[in-house]
Amino acid sequence: MFRNNYDNDSVTFSPQGRIFQVEYAAEAVKQGSVVVGIASKTHAVLVAVKRNAEELSSYQKKLFPIDEHVGIAIAGLTSDARVLSNFMKQQCLGHRLTYGRNMPVRTLVDMIGSKAQINTQHYGKRPYGVGLLVAGVDEQGPHLFEFQPSGMTEQMMAFAIGARSQMARTYLEKNLDKFADCDREELIRHGLRALKESLVQDRELTVDNTSVGVAGAAKQDDGSTKVDPFKVYDGHDVAAWIESVADDKEGDAGAGEGEGEGEGETEGMEVDS
Amino acid sequence: MDHRPQAWGRPRDDVYGAYDASYLHNNGPKTATQSPIVTGTSVIAIKFKDGVVMAADNLASYGSLARFTDVKRLRPFLSTSVVGFGGDVSDMQFLDRHLKELATDEAYEHEASSTTTDEGGSGAGEGQLNAANLYKYLSKLMYRRRNDFDPLWNQILVAGLDAHAKPFLASVDLRGTTFTSPSLATGFGAMLAQPIMRRYAATEEDAARLTREEAVNVIKECMKVLFYRDARSLDRYSIAVVTKDGVELSEDEQLEKQSWAFAERIRGYGTQVV
Amino acid sequence: MTSIGTGYDLANSIFSPDGRNFQVEYAVKAVENGGTSIGIRCKDGVVLAVEKIVTSKLLKQSANKRIATVDRHLGVAFSGMIPDGRHFIDRARDEARAWRDTFKTPISTADLASRMGGYMQAYTLYQSVRPFGITAIVGGFDSTEAAPVDGEVGSGPSCGAGGKVLGKTHGGPFLYMIEPSGLYWGYYGAATGKGRQSAKAELEKLDLGGPAGPALTLEEAVKEAARIIYVAHDDSKDKEFELEMTWISGADGPTKGLHQEVPKALREEAERLAKKSLEDDEEEEPKEEKMEE
Repeated sequence: MFRNNYDNDSVTFSPQGRIFQVEYAAEAVKQGSVVVGIASKTHAVLVAVKRNAEELSSYQKKLFPIDEHVGIAIAGLTSDARVLSNFMKQQCLGHRLTYGRNMPVRTLVDMIGSKAQINTQHYGKRPYGVGLLVAGVDEQGPHLFEFQPSGMTEQMMAFAIGARSQMARTYLEKNLDKFADCDREELIRHGLRALKESLVQDRELTVDNTSVGVAGAAKQDDGSTKVDPFKVYDGHDVAAWIESVADDKEGDAGAGEGEGEGEGETEGMEVDS
Repeated sequence: MDHRPQAWGRPRDDVYGAYDASYLHNNGPKTATQSPIVTGTSVIAIKFKDGVVMAADNLASYGSLARFTDVKRLRPFLSTSVVGFGGDVSDMQFLDRHLKELATDEAYEHEASSTTTDEGGSGAGEGQLNAANLYKYLSKLMYRRRNDFDPLWNQILVAGLDAHAKPFLASVDLRGTTFTSPSLATGFGAMLAQPIMRRYAATEEDAARLTREEAVNVIKECMKVLFYRDARSLDRYSIAVVTKDGVELSEDEQLEKQSWAFAERIRGYGTQVV
Repeated sequence: MTSIGTGYDLANSIFSPDGRNFQVEYAVKAVENGGTSIGIRCKDGVVLAVEKIVTSKLLKQSANKRIATVDRHLGVAFSGMIPDGRHFIDRARDEARAWRDTFKTPISTADLASRMGGYMQAYTLYQSVRPFGITAIVGGFDSTEAAPVDGEVGSGPSCGAGGKVLGKTHGGPFLYMIEPSGLYWGYYGAATGKGRQSAKAELEKLDLGGPAGPALTLEEAVKEAARIIYVAHDDSKDKEFELEMTWISGADGPTKGLHQEVPKALREEAERLAKKSLEDDEEEEPKEEKMEE
């Protein structure tokens, strides 16, 4: 069997200048169930599909609040995510204590980026086997970031990571122009529709396997930002949203114009394209 | 005769008595700063409807000696705040360097989170540390240093705008004591200038009615009174106005229209005999 | 590659029998796959530019910066592995801060390049680490004026020379490029990354060296930098890219001695000219052939 000599640790470059251990860690992200994030001018949302190990077990949480204004969605090794999540919580609290304000989201994301990079350059360490979507609001409005095991962090308009996430990304790319002006509910529905794209055949979104997280930022007259804290919705709290996207045809169904989420959705739902 | 090497070159004990080495053995607790050395006197500040005015003279005294006469004791931070320092000048220099580091870090973060230049945005410090944030940081720093029994020997005023773009003014001292008020003064100013400033801005509501010009005039008047009455003060001073448009700092002001006529009436000091 | 299978390329800090450290050479490969970065040292400042390949439509435009400021007067651009570049920048900022703590004055470009060259080199010395997968371009403008010492409160003596030597000049624009091996040189114009070959060819045509110093002005250099990035990108036309540019002038110039992003209007103008120049070249080439006939 062919044996690749360059893939045993994260301190060895391949002759092409690649680091296989880091690339393998990125594969671990693809093993996790899919999560989607979208940012508009006013809100940042995260939506996720949860998995259960077996019929009688509970579902693994996918969304975690970090601080009042930030939350993360994870795909990959949950225990690695918890390390990063704890670190982020501490940083946010420390910042709040010393400066009396919400930590800027970019600053927070850069911190975990730097932390993860160290693991790719030193022997005896391994890269984190988890990818994150970080959604949050600060004085500059809502933000969405992607974090990769390599330590790469990028600000996105919308993104999806995890198993079969390419389909969700395709949906997001198609509808990219609409997101900026979406309100809270529209944005969540777009998230759920993107999520549905990535589901395996004959799986669907249910109140048991769906999580939704939202944070909002409203610009006040005095120029300050009023934060609508990051909140995770599970179980029956997401029923209405799931219902509201239940009748969508797959593909590029746009935002429903009607207010009525849940019951009474007619078939002739307006589709803008 | 004592021939031990330790005794070489020392006065003979049998002639001069044993060497008193007590000062070498520190029996008391470990100590850091016990008193300030080179000092600045009062800093005064008052809020008005759009911001804050602050002033301090340009003197650094060495005890009662007017040692340095061009010392700038008001320091702008980013373009959002002004910090005024009373007390030890070397500690002020330390804090100034420290604040410069903080501002540099803040610039790094701000650069990373900016989308691109001139894409709108309200300009003056959106998303940057405002005066309230800076004050919170400084008060934590001062309190920590006092708990280390190594205080920074200053009383500090921080002026600027808070997160809601309202005028902000607060004080922290070497003990980590924090408080806020529509007008504030450190040192002698707390006795001599504060009563005058309170005539104009006793409450937040009063301060919110003051115009910039009125506030500047009150401050100038107070600086004059301080120069008349405070022996460690100078007639050259710095004045800063912070508003949403940033910091205007003038560091070479001269007290105008002084009148020392009142000095004639002072009794109990000096050479007068009656 | 001859090195493969010899076993001398499997760990960092190992010399092969002919005296090479293959892991460092492989790190250079990582750089050569990265987007192009260039730096131009001109008469009154330094310009840095990078070609940011847009890997996804979903990326927020112009929100992910690749050129960073160190202290106030230095800029760092790099090609290669982006997280490594972030680490490099973090370290450079720490060095600049440590320099200020010790000397109460900003670090000079040369000193920062030296410190960072040493740092990169240290990552070639041990089996427990790998070299940096980046080549960094460091530009800066060292103050030509007498700047106040950090924390200074009063002024110096009001008469006499005050330690100044009459007619002696200080500071100016500087540019360095640091490779994964830790090797660094000063440059008139530097290029690295995928398009470095064509970028270098273009840089060599500019009037940057010579005993009289560079003739190019800052604004000209901005336009040239944009054009060179467009030329260097030309070979891999299929992918979209974003141009990021920063500049540093002296205290009397447009950035007042600070490292800043080139203003949007100027950058867009430079990009317009760059595109036009590329189009003109395409038109000219067939014409020339005809004329020759």
